[in-house]
Amino acid sequence: MNYDIVIGLEIHVALLTESKFLCSCSTAFGAAPNTQCCPVCLGLPGSLPMVNEKAVEYAVKAGLALNCQVHHFSRFDRKNYFYPDLPKAYQITQDTYPLCTDGYLEYYIDDQLHRTAITRLHLEEEAGKLIHSGGSIVDSEYSLVDYNRAGIPLIEIVTAPDITSPRQARLFLEQLRLLMLYIGVSDVKMEEGSLRCDANISLKPQGSAVLGTKVEVKNLNSFRALERALEYEAERQRIVLEQGGKIRQESRTWDERSGRTASMRSKADAPDYRYFPEPDLPPLRLDPAWVERIKASLPERPLERLRRLEKEFGLSRYEATFLVNYPDFGQLFLELAVAGGDNRALINLLMGEYAGLAREFGHLEPERLTELLAIVDEGLITHSQSKAVLEELFRSPLSPRQIVKEKGWEVLRDVEQLREAIQGVLAGHPDLLDRYRAGEERLFGFFVGQVMRAVQGKADPKVVNQLLKEELNRLV
Amino acid sequence: MRRLAQLLAAGEITSTELVRRCLERIKETEPELNAFITVDEEGALVQAAQSDERRARSQALSPWDGIPLAVKDNISTKGLRTTCASRFLRSYRPVYDATVVERVKRAGLIIIGKTNLDEFAMGSSTEYSAFGVTKNPHDPARVAGGSSGGSAAAVAAGQVPWSLGTDTGGSIRQPAAFCGVVGLKPTYGRVSRYGVVALAPSLDQVGPLAATVEDAAILFSLIAGADPRDATSTEARPFALPAWDPQVVQGLKVGVPEEFFSSGLHGEVEAAARSVLRSLEEQGAVLQPISLASNEYAIDTYLTLVTAEASSCLARFDGVRYGERVPAGDVNTMFAKSRGAGFGPEVKRRIMLGTYVLSASHYEAYYEQAQRVRTLIRQEVARAFAEVDVIITPTTPTTAFRIGEKRNPLEMYLSDLYTATANLSGVCALSLPCGSDARGLPIGLQIMGNHFQEELIFQVAHVVEANVERVAGFEL
Amino acid sequence: MRMARLARLELSEEEIELYLRDLNGFLASGRKLQQVDVGGLAGTSHALTVGTVLRPDQVGESLPQAAVLAEGPEVMDGYFKVPRIVEGQE
Repeated sequence: MNYDIVIGLEIHVALLTESKFLCSCSTAFGAAPNTQCCPVCLGLPGSLPMVNEKAVEYAVKAGLALNCQVHHFSRFDRKNYFYPDLPKAYQITQDTYPLCTDGYLEYYIDDQLHRTAITRLHLEEEAGKLIHSGGSIVDSEYSLVDYNRAGIPLIEIVTAPDITSPRQARLFLEQLRLLMLYIGVSDVKMEEGSLRCDANISLKPQGSAVLGTKVEVKNLNSFRALERALEYEAERQRIVLEQGGKIRQESRTWDERSGRTASMRSKADAPDYRYFPEPDLPPLRLDPAWVERIKASLPERPLERLRRLEKEFGLSRYEATFLVNYPDFGQLFLELAVAGGDNRALINLLMGEYAGLAREFGHLEPERLTELLAIVDEGLITHSQSKAVLEELFRSPLSPRQIVKEKGWEVLRDVEQLREAIQGVLAGHPDLLDRYRAGEERLFGFFVGQVMRAVQGKADPKVVNQLLKEELNRLV
Repeated sequence: MRRLAQLLAAGEITSTELVRRCLERIKETEPELNAFITVDEEGALVQAAQSDERRARSQALSPWDGIPLAVKDNISTKGLRTTCASRFLRSYRPVYDATVVERVKRAGLIIIGKTNLDEFAMGSSTEYSAFGVTKNPHDPARVAGGSSGGSAAAVAAGQVPWSLGTDTGGSIRQPAAFCGVVGLKPTYGRVSRYGVVALAPSLDQVGPLAATVEDAAILFSLIAGADPRDATSTEARPFALPAWDPQVVQGLKVGVPEEFFSSGLHGEVEAAARSVLRSLEEQGAVLQPISLASNEYAIDTYLTLVTAEASSCLARFDGVRYGERVPAGDVNTMFAKSRGAGFGPEVKRRIMLGTYVLSASHYEAYYEQAQRVRTLIRQEVARAFAEVDVIITPTTPTTAFRIGEKRNPLEMYLSDLYTATANLSGVCALSLPCGSDARGLPIGLQIMGNHFQEELIFQVAHVVEANVERVAGFEL
Repeated sequence: MRMARLARLELSEEEIELYLRDLNGFLASGRKLQQVDVGGLAGTSHALTVGTVLRPDQVGESLPQAAVLAEGPEVMDGYFKVPRIVEGQE
């Protein structure tokens, strides 16, 4: 039997606020353990939470960027469970009345526009960090707890089970990451945990409307892990079903090394979180005008930029996608490009040798790039020389014109000098000249090459062609 | 207190002398009373010396600079053991001061020690303390009430001029009534809860206990007002001492809820309350029978909400960051053993009940229903205050009961029958002495006022007080 | 007893018996509440209706590490130490 894969994702994004969600401790990454803690984020008896305005703003921003309905009334709830990294033994989150619902994210897969529905987006607090004495949690005699991370603001984004392949799941998550980056609410680094993803996956007979039993897959620490784990899990479930077995509703953890998922706990063991309204925080009532202002100030989103690059700047999907996926390149392009104009040279430059150099050494100042394109356009240097100038630009603080001047790389414009060089070359190869005369026209290229060599490549090949033709015609 | 302030200002007495006087009184009475868990003799004398220095330089922080105070032991005091009368916290020293503690310190008050309570404020008799029972100064065979029993007894026995307590369902007013002192449960949110170890955050309030109405009002003026660290207090207005005006009762509409004068009410208590009402009527007040029929559900509602919130609030006592840990091989066993050993029977009982009412299958029927009934009660109180200025009732159905008399927890909970309504509806209420029964045990009168009407109920209480013999308090 | 497990409370046999009895008494009072007609009333989570209160995003002072760890029953190298964490339990 053939099966349809059904995937839904649960994504956590750490918000890029200066201070924590419910207290004023710093959110900076990498400090010594337990140095960014206070009575509130340690859950000391008597301490009380106070919501960070910026966290709400960022969550609203994310909701708007995901085309969600932002609710003017939402509420905080307590999710009660015991775990050593959870200082109050409850997490302040939003359960019954989340901040945002009913959104979607659009993205291209192989030129095909896809849309994944966002069920909800809500605010909650991060837990602390555990360091295990052994290799993993299970074989550790003891664990160490650092509460620096406890209380950093998170948004949890839940998708509908709309995703139909592991690859789509990865592409969705990549697009979501890009979106969060564009609107500036998070640095979305999977390796630092500021972007995390759990996936629910089930199989159903192809075309069936009835969903199968879902399995939650955790510990997905990279885009690749997400795709690989889902591929593994889809295959595992397919085999179980084909052998007439049943899928257990459970949580499974992905093991990067073995490339397998392993059972963590079954549904029956799922804790009862005993949600109830957080009495220490009044409900969140947003001023609709404030939400409108955030909406109005929302920066361009990746898909919007893609469309603009194609429409206004005449780029191909491939080129536009490159610029969207590398927003720094996109930014640079938009600074230098002319809407409606010819931006071929610019995009070729950016996607060509510049890309590799910029990744290694960082971007050049836009003015220097403009000047480089200009002097090629003017004919001050040749296209092939521009590569040398480009390399030099990464090493030297000089402007392209200064470099060209200093290196003496200007194009040789003196026609007489070129003519002399041509005559010299022809005079040096009388035998070849005879063969050319006899009709061996492909030798023309050889003569061009020799002339260019004679002028150390500083001549415009077009001009050389022109002059060489004239000279040969005269001699023939 | 005015007299103490004058003596201090005139230099006729020093803070050090006052503190020594309190310490002596504590030494004399404490073996029998057990009002304190911790007496900070050394710290208090240091603070007193500093206060005397300030006075000498004419830099007193307030007129009350140098006057000693006792603080209930569920209010965080920096560096001073805060046990909540629990074994679990028997050696816990907070790293921070509660906002109310900060405020009284800023006024120059001297914290002489921490008073006894029912463990985590769960109780109505101060019998459920890991540090022994607090006795009633009027009859050591009887309870002081609770949970702020230590704070009430310390004031009644003249160990300190005033004290701070907390009130979730009557925990200031009931012991104030039993011990013959004045105690105020402020409007919810008028006093910061920051640093007050939570029992039920949607009901808890800190309030003053003192021998006279004016003293209670003075202490209240020092602690009231918005706190940016407590999201439920930020609309709270500060409180200024009123000019005491005996005319305040002229035309005052006094609501008398018949439900509070019915079954279970002790005859002598009823007589004392009715006599005050008559006297007020004679002075120009208008008595108006009202109905608070839903008070019948107050205790059940209160219990459901308190146990639920408490089960969550007390979950943080897990033995990871503070408190007494019982070592075990794995973390869950460590949690369970530490909590099992650290908590007393009443605390465990309430955690069990609270866990039950919040669990997924019972949440709707118990917790949510209780929240709805709470709305009903709140609306009924609001309707009453649309018609009357204050509501007057007995504070408790009986005078202080004998130690060990109430063995059934449900029976114990009934001590809060008349007081829980103010917490459920968030209004302010105070208790002041209005006579004694045949055994010489004080009787308390409750005056309830609408939200933020503390000034009015203090004024009315001041008028009532003028006709009542003072039964307790601090003597020089 | 599931509630004791959920609440991470180790109870003795006698305690379990006692609290079961209490629970039954308590449930009676809960049932009394269930009789109350609350119509379409919304629940009250907060004693007073307060507006949204937010804090500006400003970093304040944190506690020194020594103060953070001062009350810790077991600490190691700047961390709180806990025994083996067993997954898959409630």
